[in-house]
Amino acid sequence: MAVSVTFMKLLRRALMALSMAGMIAGALRIRGKGGVPPQSGGWRELPLDES
Amino acid sequence: MNAAAGTGRLVRVVGAGAVGARLARAILAADISVDLEIDDAKPDVARALITGLGDRARAVGELGVGQPDPAVVVLARPKSHIETASKALTAGISVVSVCDDVDDVRSLMSLDRLARRNNATIVVGAAMSPGLSGLVARHLASRLERLDEIHVAIHGTGGPECAIQHHRALGGTALGWTDRAWMERPAGSGRELAWFPEPIGAKDCYRAEMVDPLVLPRAFPEVERVSARMSATRRDRLTARLPMLTPPHPEGGLGGLRVEVRGHRNGERIALVAGLAERTAVATAHVAAVFALALVRNELTPGLVLPGDAVLDTERLLDRLLAAGLVMHEFVGTESRSSW
Repeated sequence: MAVSVTFMKLLRRALMALSMAGMIAGALRIRGKGGVPPQSGGWRELPLDES
Repeated sequence: MNAAAGTGRLVRVVGAGAVGARLARAILAADISVDLEIDDAKPDVARALITGLGDRARAVGELGVGQPDPAVVVLARPKSHIETASKALTAGISVVSVCDDVDDVRSLMSLDRLARRNNATIVVGAAMSPGLSGLVARHLASRLERLDEIHVAIHGTGGPECAIQHHRALGGTALGWTDRAWMERPAGSGRELAWFPEPIGAKDCYRAEMVDPLVLPRAFPEVERVSARMSATRRDRLTARLPMLTPPHPEGGLGGLRVEVRGHRNGERIALVAGLAERTAVATAHVAAVFALALVRNELTPGLVLPGDAVLDTERLLDRLLAAGLVMHEFVGTESRSSW
């Protein structure tokens, strides 16, 4: 019985830590914009002699 | 250049770290008539660099009494640069600073009058950002009839001091230039996904205490909006306001710069994007070296010089950077997708 209580306490703490980590990560992730990947085009070397 | 400032072909490099060492090599490789003095708070570090550079480099004061003053002092050490810069300018010696700390740069910009009075030049922010960002923005802006906005994003760090500054910048207050007015926002906010040249690719970037919004409106008086962001991981943002949990790397990995300008051409609103992928310390060193050599050759006017200034021959400076080995890229084939 004592083992079971200790185990439950540990489990609750682990779940609490995981949920808090998830909430913090979620808050950090939700704010801001993800952007849209460019659908065409690409990088080429800068042509300095064109301007 | 003040004639009293000593030999015109001697450059003093202050700081022998990741940037200073590359800067010294870049200067020696670009101009065979220039000699170097190396100064570092750690004499053994300076000595090791001098040994590797050969006959054209020596320690400060090595020749004893009567040693000529340098023509240019390049400050490639951690902040603060203000005291050394003031002393050099008072003696008529021109200064190049790679500083990327907002407070220090603000102080350095106030030395314009001192520099003019002594017929010397101070180049502030000769790094990757600020520095190359201003040169690239000027290059892109030259293709516009009217420039409205400049948006800068960076990825990566140079040496350990640069990494510390990067960490500090994410925990500070971010400056922005919006509708011709300063705006302060918390660093670490305003996530945007920015695409850098390959192999860096897409990175989440955030507002940070960066120098570009401070210097670019002065170099581009017509611009209405300037923003600057740096890439960061979630761990970077969570720990930004704490002391650095792990010691910084001696050398950062591949860094990146992305500059987007927006404006008008032929009655249309367009956005132009350019950038590079290179080790941050390497890019910074080459930019500082190009400005130092421009001073040695008397190509810059006395007073404050900011990379991107309209009075600079930006195309020539960029050509020299390309000749030194930097590879810059432009995004073509689609319009910009960022919402900055």
